[in-house]
Amino acid sequence: MKLLPQSLRGRLVATAALFIVLALVATGIAVRFALYRFVHGQIDQRLDGQLMTIEAALEAQPDGSVALTRNVDAPPFDNPRTGWFWLARAGTQTWHARGLQLAEIRLDLLRAEGSDRPRPLGGMGPGGRPVFMRARNLDVGGRDVLLIAGAPLEAQNGPLRDALFPLATALAVLGAGLILATFVQVRTGLSPLVELQGMLAEVRAGRLARLPVEQPAEVRPLVGEMNSLLDENAVNLERARRHVANLAHGLKTPLAALTIALTQAGRDPDRSLARLAVAMDRQIRHHLTRARTAALGSAARISLPLAPRIADHTAAFAKIYADKTIQCHMSIAPEINVACDPQDLDEMVGNLLDNAFKWADSAILLRAGVVDRGIELAVEDNGPGVPAERMPDVLRPGQRLDESVSGDGFGLAIVQELAELYGGGLTLAPSSLGGLGATLTLPSAMAGASRVGSQ
Amino acid sequence: MRVLLVEDDRTLADSIARHLRAEQFVVDLARNGEDAQHHGETETLDAVVLDLGLPKIDGVSVLRAWRAAGRAFPVLILTARDGWSDKVDGFKAGADDYLVKPFRVEELVMRLRAMVRRAAGHASPRILCGPLSFDSQLGTFELDGLPLRLTALEWRVLSCLALRVGHVVERADLFERVYQGDADVESNSVEVILARLRRKLCHPLIETVRGRGYRLVAELP
Repeated sequence: MKLLPQSLRGRLVATAALFIVLALVATGIAVRFALYRFVHGQIDQRLDGQLMTIEAALEAQPDGSVALTRNVDAPPFDNPRTGWFWLARAGTQTWHARGLQLAEIRLDLLRAEGSDRPRPLGGMGPGGRPVFMRARNLDVGGRDVLLIAGAPLEAQNGPLRDALFPLATALAVLGAGLILATFVQVRTGLSPLVELQGMLAEVRAGRLARLPVEQPAEVRPLVGEMNSLLDENAVNLERARRHVANLAHGLKTPLAALTIALTQAGRDPDRSLARLAVAMDRQIRHHLTRARTAALGSAARISLPLAPRIADHTAAFAKIYADKTIQCHMSIAPEINVACDPQDLDEMVGNLLDNAFKWADSAILLRAGVVDRGIELAVEDNGPGVPAERMPDVLRPGQRLDESVSGDGFGLAIVQELAELYGGGLTLAPSSLGGLGATLTLPSAMAGASRVGSQ
Repeated sequence: MRVLLVEDDRTLADSIARHLRAEQFVVDLARNGEDAQHHGETETLDAVVLDLGLPKIDGVSVLRAWRAAGRAFPVLILTARDGWSDKVDGFKAGADDYLVKPFRVEELVMRLRAMVRRAAGHASPRILCGPLSFDSQLGTFELDGLPLRLTALEWRVLSCLALRVGHVVERADLFERVYQGDADVESNSVEVILARLRRKLCHPLIETVRGRGYRLVAELP
């Protein structure tokens, strides 16, 4: 169906309009036909009436001739210029309406033997204009008399035109009204689909958890199916994560036992085995982190309030780094919500804060704000910082600027990777506090906010 | 220092326990969540090393149950899951520190000592009691600036008192924190060890509080 438009609305309106126009045209044709029959019937009756008047006025004379005994020029037959006329012929005798130019009259198919019933006849009338005619053959006193009455075409076309013009206008208005009604109906009928599209976008952006079930009856099953799909997605993600967690436990517990066993005197004199174990651990950790990442499996984003989530983290880090006295200033408005998977957010915030706490001398500054691209979270510390020329190295997986401090060198690289999966990013710059300033951009889940990564 | 080690993997648990005992910790073992929860709710403990992936009851639930029951001992979470969500959940449930598998035993020992010291209210690793100083991180005692040589049981008793310097430690409490189940209690009763310690310390640093227990004084009178 290449002819039809691609949009559902276009198709519905186009097919409805086509059938409305066809139906109205057919109605117009039928009405015109009926009117034609009616008007024509009226004219025929009038002509037949005139024929009867002439018949009544004709009388056979004793000499065998026929005479017209009365004046039959009643209106409109009294003025042949109007196109109305009559004539009678019996052999060489001819009678006609007053003023009629007989020479102008042309009769088609003038049959010698006619019936005594009136019959239609074609030909030309006064002024050489085409006319309708009725003819009748009579026997008056044994003589054959031909009677003819004529009416102008205008007698038919005039009333027909007068009746058809308003009728056609009415039909056109009706058609336009019906097409408009179809358009409105289709628009209203399809509006739940448009709303559904909007709501799905909200779900994708994390501002809605599920689609609302209060929907028109026809759309409700679709919404139900979509919600089941969303639930299934969440269950699958949970299952995959549990699987990863089990895998982590299953791999790392023996690896831990192995690492401890290798520390026993004489078992690993040149520490080559320990280095292998460390390499194994790095690989496992890197790949498990990636496997855990929800964004890779296009998980549903949910709306997460940032402040309480970060407060949980700072409370944890205050315990982890209990021996360092670090002042952690947090300025995050409570209404700031990001559209993100909770575990992914934890992973990003955890790595950023771990880095900040690890390097900070005494102070950490946490700020969040709404920007064009979403939500920006800035984490700054007053530690030694990173020289500008080495900044790119920090974001390379497995790179560690200082091998003397524990860490696997994946932290900031993972943050960047995750943030980019959400359409955001991570930028590093020197902080006003003197150390490193990391700025994380994530999609916003706040109503009316522009968002990143909504493609 | 008495530590409860909760780990379901037998090889790893035995290996950790051996190392901790070598570092003078008294180690109790639990291999599932249920036993761990019961043990933690009934025994006197200085610290707990808790694996999160446990049979029967998972680690975080055990930890929540302990905290709900008012058990305040410091808990170090041992986990294979290095996702921050798991760690933050652990801290929210009441953990004090965490270690991701695999780890170095030295690291575990260091963290355990730091945790126990912080739980006893000491911000700095060095605890001073007059002429006696205790480096809680390295686990060494110095008397008048010289290293003090102690037997395992003496070290356990003195470190226990040092961490609670200025406070009375009940006799039963001290007993619980010092003796491994298989120790020869008869010949090494608390009183015998205390007598030996008093001789080694030269100064009257350990007081007996009659009817209650013992106290290491913060300053010489």
